[in-house]
Amino acid sequence: MLRFIFRRLLWMIPSLVVISFLSFVLIQLPPGDYVTTYIATLAASNEIVDQNTAADLRQRFGLDQPMIVQYWKWITGILLRGDFGLSFEWQQPVTDLIWERMALTLVLTFSTLLATWGIALPIGVFSAVKKYSVMDYVVTFMSFLGLAVPSFLLALVLMYVAAVEFGQEVGGLFSEAYVNAPWSFGKIVDLLKHLWIPVIILAVSGTASLIRVMRANMLDELSKPYVTTARAKGLSEFHLLVKYPVRIALNPFISTIAWLLPNLVSGSIIVAIVLSLPTAGPLLLQALMSQDMYLAGAFVLLICSLTLVGSLVSDILLALADPRIRLE
Amino acid sequence: MLQGENDVNEQVDVNRGMTGGGIDRRQLLKGAAGAAAVPLLAAPAGAQVAREAPDLAKLVAEGKLPKLADRLPVEPLKITVEKLGRYGGALRRGLRGSAHHNGILRMVGNQGLVRWNLAFTEVLPNAAARWEVNGDSTEFTFFLRKGMKWSDGKPFTADDVVFSIEDCAKNSELYKSVPSPFVIGGKPGTATKLDETTVKFTFPSPYALFLELMATPLGQHPTLFAKHYSSQFHPKYNPALGDLLKAANVSDWPTLFRNKLGDIEIPARWSNPEKPTLDPWVIREAYTGGATRVVMERNAYFWQVDQDGNQLPYIDRLTFGISQDVESLMLDAISGRLDIQDRHIDTLQNKPTLSQNMQKGAYRLVELISASAQQVQIYMNITHKDPKMREMFANKEFRQALSLGINRREIIDIVYLGQSEPYQTGPRPGHPWHHEKLARQFTDHDPKQAAAILDRIGYGRKDSQGFRLRPDGQKVFFAIDVIPTLYPDATDTLELIKRYWADIGIDVKINTVERALYYTRGDNNDHDCAVWPGPGGLDAMLDPRDLFAQHTQGSRYAIPWTLWYVSGGKDGQEPPDSQKQRMKLFDDARGTADMKKRGEIMKQLLDLTAEAFETVGVCLSVNAFGIVKNNLQNVPLRYPNSWPWPNPGPALPQQFFFST
Repeated sequence: MLRFIFRRLLWMIPSLVVISFLSFVLIQLPPGDYVTTYIATLAASNEIVDQNTAADLRQRFGLDQPMIVQYWKWITGILLRGDFGLSFEWQQPVTDLIWERMALTLVLTFSTLLATWGIALPIGVFSAVKKYSVMDYVVTFMSFLGLAVPSFLLALVLMYVAAVEFGQEVGGLFSEAYVNAPWSFGKIVDLLKHLWIPVIILAVSGTASLIRVMRANMLDELSKPYVTTARAKGLSEFHLLVKYPVRIALNPFISTIAWLLPNLVSGSIIVAIVLSLPTAGPLLLQALMSQDMYLAGAFVLLICSLTLVGSLVSDILLALADPRIRLE
Repeated sequence: MLQGENDVNEQVDVNRGMTGGGIDRRQLLKGAAGAAAVPLLAAPAGAQVAREAPDLAKLVAEGKLPKLADRLPVEPLKITVEKLGRYGGALRRGLRGSAHHNGILRMVGNQGLVRWNLAFTEVLPNAAARWEVNGDSTEFTFFLRKGMKWSDGKPFTADDVVFSIEDCAKNSELYKSVPSPFVIGGKPGTATKLDETTVKFTFPSPYALFLELMATPLGQHPTLFAKHYSSQFHPKYNPALGDLLKAANVSDWPTLFRNKLGDIEIPARWSNPEKPTLDPWVIREAYTGGATRVVMERNAYFWQVDQDGNQLPYIDRLTFGISQDVESLMLDAISGRLDIQDRHIDTLQNKPTLSQNMQKGAYRLVELISASAQQVQIYMNITHKDPKMREMFANKEFRQALSLGINRREIIDIVYLGQSEPYQTGPRPGHPWHHEKLARQFTDHDPKQAAAILDRIGYGRKDSQGFRLRPDGQKVFFAIDVIPTLYPDATDTLELIKRYWADIGIDVKINTVERALYYTRGDNNDHDCAVWPGPGGLDAMLDPRDLFAQHTQGSRYAIPWTLWYVSGGKDGQEPPDSQKQRMKLFDDARGTADMKKRGEIMKQLLDLTAEAFETVGVCLSVNAFGIVKNNLQNVPLRYPNSWPWPNPGPALPQQFFFST
């Protein structure tokens, strides 16, 4: 087991090198660079950049150098000094910008994850056990509805109703008074008051698909002979379900942990933008759109590393949960 | 009322003179000097004692702040407000997350040496109480306000201006090239201190436009950097700068300088709460990459008062919410959670929704007068790389035929809800420089004549689908670049134009591109044709890109000619004589202070532009609108919508107030 983990960790190094290069190239692929985008964005508000400034900016950010040189400067900065560079737009260190938003992103993602699993797993099991009952149809209908409605649309509709019909504010994670206040009990309560809206919106689509997956997995397992055997031996129905088929049906969820980690950063971008949530997603999108190279590059690198770590973790967990799986 | 101080609440009248229109500058100078001669504190007996915001009065009483009289300059700038305001309240406005730092500039105003009046026609005293210009417009002497203070209470003097220009703007490590408002004929001007409060700018050649440029946002450098604070980040003044760099973990001093002090239009300008400014409000919660809002609080040392001597601003605090999404800004607007907003919600499509919800949101609409000339300027690339295409676009009659082929009335009715009129380009109707021929030629819809012209100039043969062929047998076909996310209306207009032009046998492709690609194609001269709103309606002197090949990214009908112009003939391609004459005329106009003479020179320039007919326009640029909460007072009903007049800044938000 330890050898396996060590080997996998070693493999990550070349993967990360290739990924970092590819992501750098990909971000640079669109025509133009940060300065063109910047000028174009200002021009959209009829704002003009001094023509002398544009050339200055390009030189200052090193955008007039060949891409390979820019990449070399960037990657050596990271490897030798742990310096991810300055964001072009904000002139702040990239690491500060990212960490500033990570804490709330973690809170939101984990709450959403808990909510999704907490709702979806029992319902999935229930609708598999009571297959083709009235409740199964109701649940199935609801989950298809949840799948079909894009979550950003749900967010917009909720916001519209709240704003126009009830005159309430649904955006952000804090009320006016607490936005920049230091952490306190009051601020946590305020966070919880705001958190449930994005959590529900985000959980809706996730729940819907999870219910379907869980139901299908369970249906596969329920008809297997070991279930009949266990029942014949007189196990209570609840004990039987939780102990055997549910455990096996969970396999696919464990494999998806690999996607969960990168989702911390890049998941729910659109909803976060619509709801003005101070999470990492909107910052990532903004960095990509304005071709803010170092910020976007650091994000992509972070997401890729999380994916690699995530797949390792899910492999290990799978082996622990299901003795039939081997690590060879 | 004092002469030279404008009444901020006068109505903007588009039909009156705009930039550069019939104002005798000398008259104006006299007025300004007159204003300066009446110090506020010597106001006639019976005038009210100067007052200040209750918060500040409390601080003064506690001894934490100097008395008002000590904070104000000897002669504060007196603003004649429509209604005397009451102190208090927080003004809410929305920003977008990225590249919207100018949204803050627009609100706190550009507190430069001088400023625009409400109508965008005259330059008025601001940080400078008055000024003098020599006969050939090469020397500008500004008289600053004695006793004026930065937001940290330190005096604002001629040293600050000289430091900002000579040590900063002209420092080649900080600015690779000197900011263009301080450059004429390729040579930068010089700022010299005459005494504590007098500073002189000297230029190598006549530069009458300098004063107007100082009223625009890009002319803010003289008042941007406070010497006592900024010099600690400058190697000339701080030999121990290396330690600061190490502490901040940056490699070079210009980076640190910019991080701490910003520049006119970069986000870092609003990210350091310690930086002294001259603005009515100063940063409390900074504008940084992770911020979800920006908060600004009143500047206790702000140097402007109303006619009764009450210190401005009236409003305590500005709160800018940062939202990524325009739709959520709209929701905030209709539910009444924004006090004044125009950016991002001012599209025509939003107008019905915003009008409908006026009562619910308790706001009113204000009209923003477009400073542009043309809503959708069509730039055919006269300097196209392909010789056959170049020949086609460079043929004036070809462009005339295409212009005659457009049904402008229908476009205006369908796309612009009837809110415009057929137009080509040039100063707007009502502007003293308005040029009827330049504005209206070839705007009738006459497909018959268009077809006749095309037949005559060699595009008579047609293919099986009825599209015309060029003399070399290729189909007449070109792509029009447009950015749909920026200008959805331009895309709609082009869809209609494609139909009209198909009727006269011309096939085009609407090439919807992303904004960076649009610029890259233009910079490389790779485009056949592109559209963009045409400026120069009220600001012909400040943005003449459609009048001749002037703007290296904007004059899209002939980018290589613009390079020739700005490089003084070294780069690019040599333009034809008509262009060369116009370049010369514009340089002359820029050096001419006498408005009447300048107008005559510009008339010759506009004649030549009309004759050359390089751009094809559709309709007069449409006015935008903004929302203002009902209880927010002293906001003019109409004001210009422009960057040189960075609305609403010159409408003086410091004298807005909440009536309830």
